[in-house]
Amino acid sequence: MALPSTDGGSAANAAGPGKRHAVEFTADAGEYFRIWIVNLALTIVTLGIYSAWAKVRKRRYFYGHTRIDGETFEYRANPLAILKGRLVAVAAIAVFYAVGYFAPLYQWILWIPLAVFGPWLLVRSLAFNAYNTAYRNVRFRFEGSYKACLKVVIVYGWLVFTGFLYPYFKHRLIRFVAENHRYGTARFEIADFKKPFIGAYANAFGFGIVLMVFLLGLMFLTVQGKAPYLFFGMAVLFYGGLFLLFAYIRARTTNAIWNAVRIGPLNFESSLRASDLIWLYFSNLVAITFTLGLATPWAAVRAMRYRASKTTGIASGPLDGFAQAEAQQVSVAGEEVADLFDIDIAL
Amino acid sequence: MIEFEAVYYDGRTSARKPVRVRGYTLAIQIVGEGLRLEVPLGKVRVDPPVGGTRRALHLPDGAQLQTDDQRAVEALFPRAHPLEGWVHALERRWVYALAAVALVAAFAWWSVVDGLPRAARIAAGFVPAAVEVNLGEQSLGFFERNVCGPSALGAARQQALQRRFARLTAGLADGYAYSLLPRACRGIGANAFALPGGAVVMTDALVKLARNDDQISAVLAHEIGHVRHRHGLRMALQAAGLAALAAALFGDATSITSLATMLPTALLQNGYSRELEAEADDYAFQRLKEIGLSPKAFAEIMLLLEKDHKRRSGGESKDYFSTHPATAKRIERALAAP
Repeated sequence: MALPSTDGGSAANAAGPGKRHAVEFTADAGEYFRIWIVNLALTIVTLGIYSAWAKVRKRRYFYGHTRIDGETFEYRANPLAILKGRLVAVAAIAVFYAVGYFAPLYQWILWIPLAVFGPWLLVRSLAFNAYNTAYRNVRFRFEGSYKACLKVVIVYGWLVFTGFLYPYFKHRLIRFVAENHRYGTARFEIADFKKPFIGAYANAFGFGIVLMVFLLGLMFLTVQGKAPYLFFGMAVLFYGGLFLLFAYIRARTTNAIWNAVRIGPLNFESSLRASDLIWLYFSNLVAITFTLGLATPWAAVRAMRYRASKTTGIASGPLDGFAQAEAQQVSVAGEEVADLFDIDIAL
Repeated sequence: MIEFEAVYYDGRTSARKPVRVRGYTLAIQIVGEGLRLEVPLGKVRVDPPVGGTRRALHLPDGAQLQTDDQRAVEALFPRAHPLEGWVHALERRWVYALAAVALVAAFAWWSVVDGLPRAARIAAGFVPAAVEVNLGEQSLGFFERNVCGPSALGAARQQALQRRFARLTAGLADGYAYSLLPRACRGIGANAFALPGGAVVMTDALVKLARNDDQISAVLAHEIGHVRHRHGLRMALQAAGLAALAAALFGDATSITSLATMLPTALLQNGYSRELEAEADDYAFQRLKEIGLSPKAFAEIMLLLEKDHKRRSGGESKDYFSTHPATAKRIERALAAP
């Protein structure tokens, strides 16, 4: 669980038998800006040591401003544990990049341990984040085992190399992640979301092909010397196209996943729109660039506010009946390494 | 006595119970429907404050109180978190936020202008030359496979150029095995480039463009400067450092917005690259003098290269957005070289 978006809550749709709970995000961009910049400055002054506290404070601010049914989420991670995890992570990443720079042809050797180690990172990271997220004083948990995750990666992972079957692998992985989450003792269930999920990728793929054909045509003209300045236009088209595809896939797959998730009496309705996301990401990008990074906290608040406004929980019964599970201990190393490798399988 | 409203969770389920809490000197009393509880203050753990978010009081056995009454919590637990309480106070005032902006800006500026290049130079000192040779061989492999073929120059001509190169590298004693590789390369025109570890690739087009061999020596001296000052390695280290810095400072938003750091990073890279070119130029002027040639040869070949480049692209070389300093500036420097 990356963000406390595991929720339900705004009204937008046909009335069902269930009670609708809007997800609210009540953060204030100005307040978050002050938190962000002060914590950044403290991180610099302490040569990075404070970064663990900064991470926890920023997350606690976001979680604490995310509400369903009037109640907020809590982020409970211990900064000291995160600091230790970060030290391990920095050492690991240094080795990885050192080999990458000085012997790029040998870097693939490192991908082998990463393929074995990756599922471990994923599982530990999810477990850490889930365990440290609570709502109404009941913790989330992640119970997926390393073995089960490795199995998914081995059985379906090779699809990555086919390129166009990658979405199927991603869908299996997300199913694994979703099914193994718990809220207290309640399991996350996920209905079949294959069709809309893979459909989103298929549409994007089609659009991508059209774009490539167009680009190849332009490239032909350029090579012929008929339009020497087209290179710039091609770059804009290429990155612009990738940008559109990214936003489209993000909107559609998020909807596909969340509309299929069920936790006890709670269903979700996610109605992100690709066009909204394109505008959101684009304007954030422009704002961050032109403020030399200072708009970063504003952009983060805005993105989360949009996400919350398009997510609704539909409860067929009261949300009072979730029971706390037995306590477990979860180590942090996986979370921090995964963070630095940018492994992001958040739901 | 402090009194406030809160929601009580018993630690077993998500059921909420509105309660009234009374705080005394040594304990709190929690009163709600069917509930009357006294907990010593020492058994209550309170989370540090963050912004205006709801406060949680952790009670024994996993029970919890949640309240929006910040003032009551502060009054009950005045110095529960000295460090984070202080941070919280800083976060609340715009004055401190502005001071933090100034500090971050100063740090970013210093890192880019001074810190990273310096760190890269120091870090490069720890990298053995063998690693550079390896790095160079891998890039060379790429060029040989994809761009360049064997030179079409005659054997005698090649030998003459090799002798010039040997004269330039004689007695440098810096641990690099210098070698000159004349090549016929598609699409890169008159050019030469140095690979880490000592290999210098020179295109046939450059040899044809030069009016005399001193001009070729000038270009080769510049390339040797790149090798001696370990520019390939330093660029790689600076790029890694810059990416890490950008990610650490602004990598906070969603992954796509982190694209926003790409453009400025690329511009800064070009700035670094210009600095290194100037360093290599300086080396070339000095080395040419040492072996009895004039830096003027460098000015001449730069002029020829610029004309050639303009003819091929129809454009003009600009200082900004380009990896090499504007040619006019370089020529001026060559002519003014002591």
